[in-house]
Amino acid sequence: MWKSVGAAIALLALGGSAFAASAINRDAQTRTLVVTEGGAKSELTLAAGETVEFCSNGCFVTLPNGDLEALTGSETVEISGGAARIK
Amino acid sequence: MFFRLLRLILVAIVAAFGQPAFDASAQAIGHGAAELIADQTKVIQDLTSKTDGLEKKLNDPDQDDAGLVDIRLQLEDISRAALTSALAFRQRLTDINNRVGVLGPPPAQGQPPEPEIVSSERSALAAEKAEINAVIAGAQNLSIRVNGLVDKIAVMRSELFRSVITKHYDLTDALSPQAFSDAHDQFTGLYKAVSSWLSFAVKFKFQAILAATLMALTLAAVLLIGGRRLFGRIFEADPTVEDPSYLSRLSVAFWSTLLPTLALGVFFASAVFFFNYYNVLRGDIGSFLNALLTVIGMVFCVNRLTNAALEPRLPNWRLIPVATGSARWLVGLTTAMALVLGLNYFLSVVNEKMGSPLSLTIARSSVATIIVGVILILMGLLRPFRAADGSWRPWPAWLRFIAIGLGLFTIAATLLGYIGLALFVSFQVVVTGTVLVTAYIGFLSARAIGEEGGFADTSVGRWLSTNSSYEDTALDQLGLVVSIAINLMIVLVFLPLILLMWGFQPGDIEAWAYKLATGVTIGSVTISFLGILSGIVVFVIGYFLTRWFQGWLDGSVMARGKVDAGVRNSIRLGVGYAGVAVAGLVGISAAGIDLSNLALVAGALSLGIGFGLQNVVSNFVSGLILLAERPFKVGDWIVAGDVSGTVRKISVRATEIETFQRQSVILPNSNLINNAVGNWTHRNKLGRVDIKVGVAYGSDVKRVHAILMDIARAHPMVLKNPEPFVLFANFGLAALEFEIRVFVADVMNGSVVQNDIRFAIFDIFEEEQIEIPSTPRAVVETKKHEAWPIDDDKIEAEFAERQRLEAEAAAERERLAKMKRRGRKPDPG
Repeated sequence: MWKSVGAAIALLALGGSAFAASAINRDAQTRTLVVTEGGAKSELTLAAGETVEFCSNGCFVTLPNGDLEALTGSETVEISGGAARIK
Repeated sequence: MFFRLLRLILVAIVAAFGQPAFDASAQAIGHGAAELIADQTKVIQDLTSKTDGLEKKLNDPDQDDAGLVDIRLQLEDISRAALTSALAFRQRLTDINNRVGVLGPPPAQGQPPEPEIVSSERSALAAEKAEINAVIAGAQNLSIRVNGLVDKIAVMRSELFRSVITKHYDLTDALSPQAFSDAHDQFTGLYKAVSSWLSFAVKFKFQAILAATLMALTLAAVLLIGGRRLFGRIFEADPTVEDPSYLSRLSVAFWSTLLPTLALGVFFASAVFFFNYYNVLRGDIGSFLNALLTVIGMVFCVNRLTNAALEPRLPNWRLIPVATGSARWLVGLTTAMALVLGLNYFLSVVNEKMGSPLSLTIARSSVATIIVGVILILMGLLRPFRAADGSWRPWPAWLRFIAIGLGLFTIAATLLGYIGLALFVSFQVVVTGTVLVTAYIGFLSARAIGEEGGFADTSVGRWLSTNSSYEDTALDQLGLVVSIAINLMIVLVFLPLILLMWGFQPGDIEAWAYKLATGVTIGSVTISFLGILSGIVVFVIGYFLTRWFQGWLDGSVMARGKVDAGVRNSIRLGVGYAGVAVAGLVGISAAGIDLSNLALVAGALSLGIGFGLQNVVSNFVSGLILLAERPFKVGDWIVAGDVSGTVRKISVRATEIETFQRQSVILPNSNLINNAVGNWTHRNKLGRVDIKVGVAYGSDVKRVHAILMDIARAHPMVLKNPEPFVLFANFGLAALEFEIRVFVADVMNGSVVQNDIRFAIFDIFEEEQIEIPSTPRAVVETKKHEAWPIDDDKIEAEFAERQRLEAEAAAERERLAKMKRRGRKPDPG
């Protein structure tokens, strides 16, 4: 009984990672996002085809085309052809 | 008339729904991008000026811990607001980007220029985008600044705490005669303030005071009397009870602490409320009264708790088995400690309000901490337990050392001048100790309820067992759930309470709770307890909904629809599995889990599943096929391989068959699908029973045939159609063999029919002198020579013989000895 409960919680914890925002780079070359989260600016480098989870509690992000956007932490940023779309 | 009404309703509906749509479109037109930018710029400006104000407050050197936490909470709000305001541009930015995409890139050098209208639109869009980006950049800068301030507050708070704890005061200044005169002045001031307030109150507000006090008293009385009425039996310790159970002792301790304290708290709170309402309190009197009432409440609570736990008057009801005298001492010491600290707190409020010199504060605090230290040492030195031999035993070593150590530490810290530290420690000892003891009592009662039969002993358990159909095991399981819930509640109530006592501010705890609820990030994994909890709750609700629907469908719909039992079973099972699956899926999605995250794991596992779980999966699919195709149903008599019996239960993996010897055989479903299964009762229960009988050569076979036919026809359970048949089966070696074949309506009754017919044949053949031959077997008498025991047997036999002889010899000797003794006896004559 306890084992199954533990397993269920582990599974839920594993799946719970869907709470952060994620960025997907669909391009063939490396793209960079500038993320401002919790008072610190950092560069998020995405290799070709990479998906990265970031920004769990809201952040500002500078997209490759220079646009500045705010994220609540549940969106998916998709970069293709050098342009980013927020879903 | 009716149509007019209908039209009116229609118009109203159209108006109701049309209005917002119209408004929205009007807003979209009126509120252009420029207005959006202007609005949000203003919002960010407001937030920035608010931040400026907070930063100014932050630099105020007199800021205390609570003030810092308050500022931090406001800053966090500002940070969120900045983000929200930046979010407002998302739609507009997307629109602009789409539009720019439609316009295409500007013509390169040498290409024909684009029309004026296109280039002007492009430049307008670019300008708007730049403006929006500027506003968002403002929000971003604000957010960075606010976060920096929040970090600064964390540093300031830890520094503040350190400075309070480590500040060194000179005791010699404080304990000079000057302090006494200061104290005297202080008391005169307090007396004056209170007496002037009293004369004012009596003169002008006497009725208001009377009314407020009466109202507060009434409220408290309602609570206390109502509580006594409700929990009367478990509220008071009954001295006549010889040996109260641990649980009843606990509940008495708990309720007799909680209810009076609550009543007192309500009385004080409502008194202050009504005094405020009638404007009775004036100047500093309000804060004095607040402090005094808080102190009284705290001392009362500590006193009630120790009294309840130690019960100096009723040894039977004591929670901790200390001796009576020690119990009295402990109650007194604990109350004294709470009283000293409470008085110190009250005086500190008075000092603060009346602006008394520092030396007085130091003197007061040092006296209080030294008294608390002495009390702690006294408590540690107490020998509360009485051993069986009458000697007194001290506390367990760890408790003793902690108490004495804390006492010595407090006194030493005071004497060395670290009064802030000493005060902090002694305050924590009393308050944290009280909270910990209460929580521990709660844990103990949860454990007692969780024990087997513990819940049934409680008043709720007794009520449930008389008023509901719960059985003992169900009550026991309920008790387990209750005990887990109590444990959880204790953690939820007391953990924040202890954290509060240790100097964390409500804001801290609120922020942690918020973080815990929305998600803790560890590496790249975010765990959200709220999500997990809501997922579990949704699943449980879905599960019970399914059970209820299943029961309703089975019990009301299908039972009344005269649906066949097997179909009912199949449908019920199918609905159950589908419902649980749906509840699981909904629960998982309610927990916010993206199932696509599991796809990776599933992909990796699928190979393993393909090999390892092949059998399980095949059985599972077979079970679904069995439910759908229904080659047999519950209650059927089936033969599958070697197993023959009644089907009891069809589950997803296996089917339970009960043989006629009442052995349960669990047969994997794939066996039933892949192999031939005989079902005696598939379409109907009709079945044939064969009975063989032989008659001697020389009998009248025609007569035998007729007799057998009559017997078969005469039996009431034998069907007329298809009619019975008697087969002249064989000219056997010893007999002419016949076979009676009869059909019965229910093949389950076959044995009864066979028995009846065999008895009838036997009786009638005897009457008619028809012989049933039995094949004689040759009796061969062989002369076997007696088997000589093999060597081991021989040795054993010899050993046994020797033993027997020895035993006989011993018995003989005994007999002789007895005779001798008897012979030596002096002759009575």
